[in-house]
Amino acid sequence: MREADPGRRQAQGDVAALAGTIERAAGDLALAEEPSNFAVVLEAAAPRD
Amino acid sequence: MTELTLTGLASSIARREISAVEATRACLDRIARLDGSLRAFVTIDGDGALARARALDADLAAGRRRGPLHGVPLAYKDLCHVRGLPTSCGTKTAEYFTSEVECTAVARLTAAGAITLGKLNMTELALGPFGDNPHHGDVDNPRKSGHVAGGSSSGSGAAVAAGLAYGALGSDTGGSIRLPAACCGIVGVKATYGRVSRAGAMPLSWSLDHLGPMTRTVRDAAVMLEIVAGHDPHDATSSHHPVGALVSSLDRSPAGLRVALPENYYFDGVTPEVRAAVEEAARVLGALGVGVKTLRLPDPAILHDVANVLARSESAAIHARVVRDRPHELGAAVRSRLEVGFHISAHDYLQAGRLRARLAREFVAEVFAETDAVLAPSIPEPPPSLADVTAGPVDEIVRRMGRFSRLTRPFNALGLPAVALPCGVLADGRPLGLQIVGGPFDEATVLRLAHAYEQATDWHRRRP
Repeated sequence: MREADPGRRQAQGDVAALAGTIERAAGDLALAEEPSNFAVVLEAAAPRD
Repeated sequence: MTELTLTGLASSIARREISAVEATRACLDRIARLDGSLRAFVTIDGDGALARARALDADLAAGRRRGPLHGVPLAYKDLCHVRGLPTSCGTKTAEYFTSEVECTAVARLTAAGAITLGKLNMTELALGPFGDNPHHGDVDNPRKSGHVAGGSSSGSGAAVAAGLAYGALGSDTGGSIRLPAACCGIVGVKATYGRVSRAGAMPLSWSLDHLGPMTRTVRDAAVMLEIVAGHDPHDATSSHHPVGALVSSLDRSPAGLRVALPENYYFDGVTPEVRAAVEEAARVLGALGVGVKTLRLPDPAILHDVANVLARSESAAIHARVVRDRPHELGAAVRSRLEVGFHISAHDYLQAGRLRARLAREFVAEVFAETDAVLAPSIPEPPPSLADVTAGPVDEIVRRMGRFSRLTRPFNALGLPAVALPCGVLADGRPLGLQIVGGPFDEATVLRLAHAYEQATDWHRRRP
């Protein structure tokens, strides 16, 4: 079996670390949280003239 | 003539003191004289620009003024699809990107009377903050040759600073408008996510991409933003929120507004001259009646991770074909950054999107209860030597890229409006950069603060 090249190993390591951080931070997200709520947050906080 | 601001030129043309043809010829002459060393342009459409200028002069002679930019020569980052011109996106492929619709922002500027001079150089696929490009040449910094022009909208920054165009469009996924604005000593605006249509522009990361103006003054930027902002049915993420009167509110006194200097993160590792310049900017605003305080901001570390997951996943999906079929055509650092996205799982991508919503909600609630805007440096140091930052192993270059853009990236993840503008000049000519960040869709306040600061200082009058 061929060894993965060092660049690819580094990338996979970086992604694994990133995934771990995201998973820990997302652990207590509300069930109803979803990506499209981001736009809702911005619109809700817009100035009302 | 190229010393005039965009609004100054527009007024002179409207009064028929200067013709559109004269203004266009002045830009083309300057491009011919300076762009061999600056490398700001990828495509120059001299014949098209002059033909359009002649038509606009005829219109004005007949009493028809197309709009506030009648006869003003502009240029666009080479990821905007402009009818009749190729769009390389900084790659080796001359027509890397095409679109069924013309870039909406360009179309709106054209409808307002602007003249297209050509397309501007950029970092390959908009991936990189330094302004280097292996296919079209590295953009030089007009303020200090051999130094970073900033990226990825490097040509936009250099062209506007050097007087090759009166204004430009850039795009900003992690700082790509604000970094070159800071490095080249001009003004750049990344408005709220959804404020400016992304239609007809090459996507890098649809969750984080923003288009926006780059100009020599805040007023010029407000004029361009007021034209390009507003809902566009061609962009599914485009907001219906009304744009409001950005230009006419510029001259309202900023007294009574509140600004905050971050207590954490945004001054960590920043050079002393940058820190001093931003603190002095806060003092200047304080003297104008603006309330200044320090404030601890929510920790941006997790925002960086969220932005990384979103940007890497989306950019790898969008540009998978070139990475897989023609990887040899890409620069090593660009290829390396794109390949990371192939290893991110759907689960992590979705969790990052969910986290982003919560982080934005918390940031907006906590920060904008206390202040109207945040002041922070745009770049952590004066523009460094390009040779220094692009030397060495790819991993080290990628880490340098991350450090250089770490002050701008959080506001892409948060989608908040930010204006970058000069706040100092070193003895060797290198500019220092400030960013003013506001609440969602509150471009009016950040522009008003930026204009007040600009008018109280003279950094914007310093020419390269």
